[in-house]
Amino acid sequence: MSLLIAKQISKTYTASSWFQSKKKEHSAITNVSFVVESGMCLGILGESGAGKSTLGKIALGLLPPDQGSISFQGEDLYRVNRHKRKQLRRDLQVVFQDCYSAVNPRMTVKQIIEEPLRNFRRLSVSDENRTVANLLETVGLTINDMNKLPNQLSGGQLQRVNIARAIALEPKLIVLDEPVSSLDLIIQKQILDHLKELKEKIGLSYLFISHDIAAVEVISDRIAILDKGEIVETLDTSNMYACTHPASQKIIRSSL
Amino acid sequence: MLMSRLLGKQLVISVLTTLLALITLAGIFAPFLAPHDPNLVDLSHKLNSPSLEFPLGTDQLGRCVLSRLLYGTRVTLSLTLLIVASCVAIALIIGSIAGYVGGLIDNILMRVCDTILSFPSFILAICLISIWGVGWQQMVFVLITIQSVYYTRFIRGLVTNLRQQNYILAAKVCGSSPFLIMIRHIIPNLLSPLVIVVTLEIGWVIMDISALSFIGLGVQSPTPEWGAMINEGKSFLLSHPRLLLAPGIMIFCVVALFNLLGETLGGKKGTTKSIRKSKKEPVEGLGGTQ
Repeated sequence: MSLLIAKQISKTYTASSWFQSKKKEHSAITNVSFVVESGMCLGILGESGAGKSTLGKIALGLLPPDQGSISFQGEDLYRVNRHKRKQLRRDLQVVFQDCYSAVNPRMTVKQIIEEPLRNFRRLSVSDENRTVANLLETVGLTINDMNKLPNQLSGGQLQRVNIARAIALEPKLIVLDEPVSSLDLIIQKQILDHLKELKEKIGLSYLFISHDIAAVEVISDRIAILDKGEIVETLDTSNMYACTHPASQKIIRSSL
Repeated sequence: MLMSRLLGKQLVISVLTTLLALITLAGIFAPFLAPHDPNLVDLSHKLNSPSLEFPLGTDQLGRCVLSRLLYGTRVTLSLTLLIVASCVAIALIIGSIAGYVGGLIDNILMRVCDTILSFPSFILAICLISIWGVGWQQMVFVLITIQSVYYTRFIRGLVTNLRQQNYILAAKVCGSSPFLIMIRHIIPNLLSPLVIVVTLEIGWVIMDISALSFIGLGVQSPTPEWGAMINEGKSFLLSHPRLLLAPGIMIFCVVALFNLLGETLGGKKGTTKSIRKSKKEPVEGLGGTQ
């Protein structure tokens, strides 16, 4: 079953000025289409500036595309009413690249993970504590970390907190916007293995956005290669070295 | 800066706040501390030198200078508190809306602010008071109108900066409404830069109140107020300079204490500029990223 379908989406940023009649246009992505199948992981691989983060924001429902449509579970993310959109949000979560800026520096780990729970579920205090404790355990942290502030945690631990927040509502799809790029290799491996495990355990689907071919290879079932705002090739991970487009060859051969 | 490096930040902050608390308490308990009624005219004691009965002497109408100073603390500090609190409240609402919503609303609000900011603030205050009339209520109203523009711009700058933080996006994805994002994420992260700026601005507000009262547009005689006291004493500058020096020193001390406190709280360079001096919004020192 297709969970997220992007059809022909385009996004152009315009820098307008009062004194210039000509607007400066910069097209971030053009005519991008992709499908994320339920229970699968689609990796979007691209260089810096290829439009990866724009694509992530559009897929999350945070940035309306200029053209095209994004449908999630059969509903168009940008055309549904507010109530329905909130319901869709519940099944669509995110983990950002920079784990430090992705959490409010003034909130404790518990408050961070509680936020989505409070928005969607009415839980008693003891239930809430238990849920947070379970989530922390699921992502490999301990209950002792519950009352720590973000600056008391390492990057890897904080990224686990972000993952815990993302899975708190038991979503169907998580957009992973370069979730391991700011971490060292050992932690990268741990987090990726963990994400893979979660995918199988809870039946999650991922849209994994990255420039790191190794990370994408570990976790993705299919890979779409994004070059200068366009998807040039989509193929299965198993035969990704059989790519034909010069841009994708360049990216795939660039692995260290 | 040098002081906090020599003595340690915590110590400097506690000393400064203690001194300010003492001055505030002196104002609050003025009726118990003041040896005389501040408005009691007694021409038989006019222009007395300091003595046991009148520790700071008396003025040209025989009123006790110390009592007037103590009551003046009350007037000045309560007006300052009123002005600053109103400004922060107005600025938090307008600045957050402009910064968070952005677009056309932001543009309209900011152009209105720019228009007000394009006049020198003190001249504008004098103009507005001359239109609305003289008195402390008008002065408070005018100062709130002008000051809140500076605060609004400052808060708008902070909010625009915070809005782009990933945790705001993450909160949106988590299903938090704009109102909840404001309460949970934006306002708590505004507070520390806001406290620093408010501390620095208090000094300016005290100066404004005193200056307007000095030129006779603010607090009116016989209400004891430091600026008004300097005004009354100015005719005795050469013969009895203590009439000017006493309120002058009080203004100097309180303003200096608040400024030192603000600078010490600010810590890093560049975060401690008054919002009046630099019309650009200082955005460093935001507790956003590491």
